[in-house]
Amino acid sequence: MTFVGTDVIMVGGLAKVTGAVNYAPDLVLPRMLYAKALRSSYAHAKLLRVDASKAEKFPGVVALVTGADIDGLNAYFGPVVDDQPVVAVERVRHVGEVVALIAAESREIAEEALDLISVEYDELPAVFDLMEAIKPDAPVLHAQRNETNAGVHREEFNFQLGGNICSVFRVEDGDVTRGFAEADEIFENTYTLPPVQHGHIEPHAATAYWEPGGKLVIHSATQNPSGVQEQLAQIFRLPENQVRVIVPPVGGGYGGKTHARLEPALALLARKARRPVQWVLTRDEVFLTGRRYGALIKIKTGVKLDGRIVAREVESFYEIGAYALNGPVNAKTGCYVSSGPYNVPNRRLSTYSVYTNLPPTGPFRGVGVSHVCWAYESEMDDIARKLRIDPLELRLSHLVKEGDVFVTGEKLVSVGITDCLRRAADAIGWKGQIEQGEQAAPSNGRSVVRGKGLAVTIKSTTTPTTSSASVRLNADGSAVLLTSSVEMGQGAHTSLAQIVADELGLPFEKVTTSFPDTDVTPYDKSTSSSRTTFHMGQAAQKAAHEIRTQLLDVAAKQLEASPDDLELTDGAVSVRGMPNKRMSITEIFKARFGATVGSMFGGHCFKSAGGLDPKTGKGKAAAFWFFSACGAEVEVDVETGKVRVLNAVTAVDAGKAIHPKQCGLQNEGSLLTGLGSALFEEMVYDNGQPINSNFLEYLLPSLQDHPQAFRSLLVETPHPDGPHGAKGVGEAALPPVAPAIGNAIANALGGVRVRDLPVKPAKIVAALSAATEKG
Amino acid sequence: MKIAISTTINGRQIDAAVNGHQTLLEFLRDDLSLKGSVEGCGVGVCGSCTVLIDGRPVSSCLMLASNAAGKQVTTIEGLAQDGELDRVQKAFLKHQAFQCGYCTPGMIMAVTGLLAHNAHPSEAEARDYLSGNLCRCGTYVEVLAAVKELAEA
Repeated sequence: MTFVGTDVIMVGGLAKVTGAVNYAPDLVLPRMLYAKALRSSYAHAKLLRVDASKAEKFPGVVALVTGADIDGLNAYFGPVVDDQPVVAVERVRHVGEVVALIAAESREIAEEALDLISVEYDELPAVFDLMEAIKPDAPVLHAQRNETNAGVHREEFNFQLGGNICSVFRVEDGDVTRGFAEADEIFENTYTLPPVQHGHIEPHAATAYWEPGGKLVIHSATQNPSGVQEQLAQIFRLPENQVRVIVPPVGGGYGGKTHARLEPALALLARKARRPVQWVLTRDEVFLTGRRYGALIKIKTGVKLDGRIVAREVESFYEIGAYALNGPVNAKTGCYVSSGPYNVPNRRLSTYSVYTNLPPTGPFRGVGVSHVCWAYESEMDDIARKLRIDPLELRLSHLVKEGDVFVTGEKLVSVGITDCLRRAADAIGWKGQIEQGEQAAPSNGRSVVRGKGLAVTIKSTTTPTTSSASVRLNADGSAVLLTSSVEMGQGAHTSLAQIVADELGLPFEKVTTSFPDTDVTPYDKSTSSSRTTFHMGQAAQKAAHEIRTQLLDVAAKQLEASPDDLELTDGAVSVRGMPNKRMSITEIFKARFGATVGSMFGGHCFKSAGGLDPKTGKGKAAAFWFFSACGAEVEVDVETGKVRVLNAVTAVDAGKAIHPKQCGLQNEGSLLTGLGSALFEEMVYDNGQPINSNFLEYLLPSLQDHPQAFRSLLVETPHPDGPHGAKGVGEAALPPVAPAIGNAIANALGGVRVRDLPVKPAKIVAALSAATEKG
Repeated sequence: MKIAISTTINGRQIDAAVNGHQTLLEFLRDDLSLKGSVEGCGVGVCGSCTVLIDGRPVSSCLMLASNAAGKQVTTIEGLAQDGELDRVQKAFLKHQAFQCGYCTPGMIMAVTGLLAHNAHPSEAEARDYLSGNLCRCGTYVEVLAAVKELAEA
């Protein structure tokens, strides 16, 4: 019996329905203290003086750290560039920056003591608007640090010294100037997206302590145990084996927990307190800790009257907040796909990541790609409408196909995009809409119109990266997969166990998966970029294969058969076609070790190949590409601007669905997040001060917003390198959701379009009245 | 100042001294180590701290522990009896109506409250009743499937 491709019961489900999961905020350690942060109320200021003497003496306060406590350590860190202080040093660059962190016997005491810290600021000019920030006279956030490239860890994009532009990435094909000259029609528009929240219901949370010998132990709800370990080792100047990162089940991440956030300051505090300290953020603090990039995208397309796209130029600006975090990487990820999954002979694509005095950002499901997809897919429908071509046909005639050379210069492999689009279109009953939707003009006194929309996307997984795994087989025929892949609801521990069970011929229940613990589990790049099934899946499969080889070798000798004639199923090796000539795993252990104890090990470190030349933008961007499509049908009230999504379909090329149900759940999650950002989600700031940082004023999609009908479709175009042909799924469905909904709205409104997300009712009403005035 | 309360939690009488400002959620988590109810938003919007008070769903982050005096409190830990899951838990497991699971206890308690109030809810009624329980993983279709099965039982 094999398990890959079946919907086995999700690992950990029993604990989830009984409330027995121990999430990071649930941990209790003996003598544990509680942390609270004093945060900057200024968006940009010099720190003149931090006086914490009164707070330190407050009964119940055990330790307190400020920038002064970082002496002797590497004060700045970051996954790409070391620009973020562990605790604010000399300057604060956004509202909510941590100025001091207190450890006390209770949360209440810590909270009270915060009021006793006095801070003197000297306010500096700040910049919040993306396009203002790139002007030559804008206040500069990282003037000193920007003088050299020191502290830049990665070279895959072009760092900019000086102003607020952090990085630039460019790639070109053909001759864009000539392309525009040949065009019959030119389309040129600007699209914007506001910052939005990841919305993981579990806040960031961690607990840290130091062992007497100077080893740091930290339990954290992170998506990236190896990355957090690396950063802490660097900050505290420790060998990596003196930093132990343990990750329990995580209550939602969506990219928001991909990088070190609480861990550095908390570790510093725990070192001073000499006791375990726990830090759980409140919801308004989560809003100050991470979010999706705001963006502005300028897109220009040259088209022949027959519908052929001959040139496209895209300039995308990503607002990354006060610290780089992964901004440059994600802006690069957006760059080379910013003309879409289309063959365009002449194109010039550039992205900029830009610092502002807004709170920090980070990777967000669909990283960098949701931004440009909103622009290029909205643009496709505008072009189709103007040229009176079916938007489906316009897309189909330009979509990349198996073996096509992409703008990065690489050949595309496992390209199921055409199937995804056709199936999504069929599923929403697409009939070649160009004009208004089925219930075109409002009639019979009703003010409601309907429309349908489609959108597609292409996205890379971060490349090159490394994942390693080891598998241990016990003498009783049970096995453990040791992996640093984080279980955060996506089902990694289920699908990885399916892969290992099949490789070892074991019943699914005989395979368990460890939680990440860097003392035990080997290196993994991170649980992000929907890379786990592909990368960790291969590592796990190959690690299990090593054990398989050992089992067959021992059995071959005992059974006097060639290993090629043996099969391994249901916990036993037998000679093919001779069911009586068989040995159970326990018997093989006995034959090999002389006893029914011991362990067999297998291990594998998988590294994907590739990378792009930052000068040319050429190379290999992706170990595998995601392809997906979305179809949406909406109802719009033209009087109030209210939109209801009636029907939504996502179609994703999974390569091979290891666990089809979980793939469907990932797509449903992507759909809802996309729906929220399409219609209402938006973080709002007033002079850098967040003004809707709670779930009362910042709404997440509820069951009332969920479309009346939803379908997740899976296309399976096997990838030659993936385990069983599998690729990633997690975020693939997200980028096309907002443009599909936007296109459905524009379709319902006879081409009237809102280009700035979210498409709120007031914007629709304003766009309709502007269109009426224009006549 | 501590307030003495006597309350029934998952069928057991609990006599305790609570702080005046202590929420029921803090009491459950910090004093009783019942960690199944979790805080998501702290303002009674996300539903992940939902417990039943005399059979009705309540956001325990908004209720003072002292107000639980004399009440019957049921948390996620109180649903299974002698290791046997109750029918809502079984339906969630069967339909895989969870992903990360953080909102799941609250969602299960809300569904329990819904069925106590309306044994055969329509889909529209279920959507309305459960719209105060947010799931960012987006597992709503499966929650509705679980409710549908329970409503038709």
